[in-house]
Amino acid sequence: MAKPELRQAIEELIYRSCLALDAGEYKAFLAMCENDFRYTIATYSPEIRRDMVWLDHDRKGMETLFGNLPKHNSDHSPLTRHATVYTVEIDGDVANVVSALQVFRTLLDGGATELFAVGRFHDTVKLDGADAKLARRLVKLETRLLGYGYHVPF
Amino acid sequence: MAKSAAEWNAPPKFPATHYVDSRIYTDQAIFDEEREKLFKPSWIIACHESEIAAPYDYRLFNHPAGVPLIVVRGDDGNVRAFYNICPHRGNTILYDPSGNAKRMTCIFHQWSFDSRGNCVDITRAEQGYQDRFCKADAGLREVRCELAFGGFVWVNLVDDCAPVREFVGGALDILEPYMQQPMEIFHYHKAHVRTNFKLWHDTNSEFYHDFIHYFNRITGMLQPGYFQRKYTGFPNGHATVGSMQVQYDKYDGSKERRVGWPGLAPGGWYMIDIFPGMTYNLRTSVLRIDTAIPIGPNEVIIEFRGLGLKSDSAEERSQRVFDHNMIWGPFGRNLHEDLLGVHGQGRAMRGGTDSRWVLQGREENSTIHDECGMRHYYAEWSRRMGRPAYDPYREGKPEPALQAA
Repeated sequence: MAKPELRQAIEELIYRSCLALDAGEYKAFLAMCENDFRYTIATYSPEIRRDMVWLDHDRKGMETLFGNLPKHNSDHSPLTRHATVYTVEIDGDVANVVSALQVFRTLLDGGATELFAVGRFHDTVKLDGADAKLARRLVKLETRLLGYGYHVPF
Repeated sequence: MAKSAAEWNAPPKFPATHYVDSRIYTDQAIFDEEREKLFKPSWIIACHESEIAAPYDYRLFNHPAGVPLIVVRGDDGNVRAFYNICPHRGNTILYDPSGNAKRMTCIFHQWSFDSRGNCVDITRAEQGYQDRFCKADAGLREVRCELAFGGFVWVNLVDDCAPVREFVGGALDILEPYMQQPMEIFHYHKAHVRTNFKLWHDTNSEFYHDFIHYFNRITGMLQPGYFQRKYTGFPNGHATVGSMQVQYDKYDGSKERRVGWPGLAPGGWYMIDIFPGMTYNLRTSVLRIDTAIPIGPNEVIIEFRGLGLKSDSAEERSQRVFDHNMIWGPFGRNLHEDLLGVHGQGRAMRGGTDSRWVLQGREENSTIHDECGMRHYYAEWSRRMGRPAYDPYREGKPEPALQAA
């Protein structure tokens, strides 16, 4: 069981990571990540009965992905990531954190908001005293029908 | 110079074969006719054999003509396809999109069928039907099914249709040398888009839209060989696009693909569009297959499959998945752009928008930015539909087109 102040710091890291991505503040997001950070979006297909990886990058890959965004034609509808931390398991200087994730998309014209995707964050958080950073984020999606898709990771 | 209403509605100044009437993308009656005349008699890819590898493995498929199908590998190893409709009360037999079922049993009244389509159990048959109806009368409706062109399962709803090789003709000859080794699916997802299915096939049939893709501009359009890629049309509306050497390392964050494809030159890329809505896309290390499942005139579900080689090591497979996702996954750089493109067309062409014509007038000696691929498709569309795509309501051949013809 994580101490309340430690759990609070971990939860705040998860929530701040959502806020940074929602705001398109990618440098701020990466500042919350370890140098050997790895980010993966995965899901299971009941159609082909296989686990699938849909995105997998190390920190450098994420930096490049964010840096290339202005060169691409993308849907500009903002996303709102809503996370709820379910479990925090401390193992030495590492915390394994599972959070529920809902991603909402708000249309620019009229502002209608629709549920875009649901899934879970499986985060590995590196602890260094009061400091907590993301070492690994695995987004396990339940939603697989994403319309015309999106260029920015969840 | 901006146009008046009259100018906007006037036929384009091209030969009539070089544009289509926008209403073929929005009209419900035309769509219903397309299901009957384009999709029903065509061979359609339902799945890949690796999705039903073991006896009794099955896969559901919503045929573009509207019929729900079960594709199942039988106890004898043969693959067959049946309507997913119980002959008793018309209920759905199987619900999960895939699985393994020695017996396919309708949950409604527990009628049961084997992997060859035979009815093997009718609950309380004798009490209810006496000798008037028996299991032999209650088989599933089987449809034509063939494994071909890379181990894909092709289905056809017409019993006396010609074999799939006759339908495809020589269109896949260009790819056959690269499909000799067993392949395996590693990616599947659907995209539901408010647009017409033909607009997606159009996107796969022309490369002029590479201007939407930063990735393709930097790794292809700006590289040697790009403008030499050529289209070739084949009977039945199919078309192919020749290869080039894609320079993957020109995109920041990408690099030359380490894993290639047996026999394919490094960076090679072939595309084959199969009428009326399928595409083989072999791009250096991954084979992608698109299958359009139209829902309505302005609504389509596109099935995307990614395949590697069955013999892949874990490292090779991982690299193929990475290569696939870089451009073609739901978060890939190119697929999102392509889907945005046809989504935009769907927005602009839905009923009442006064969209009028779609131009297909580029002529560049059948090279990569020529729009002959689309023109070839609509020539077949017009043949099957019994009227030209530029004049689907027989309102009279437009004057400029008449002159050009």
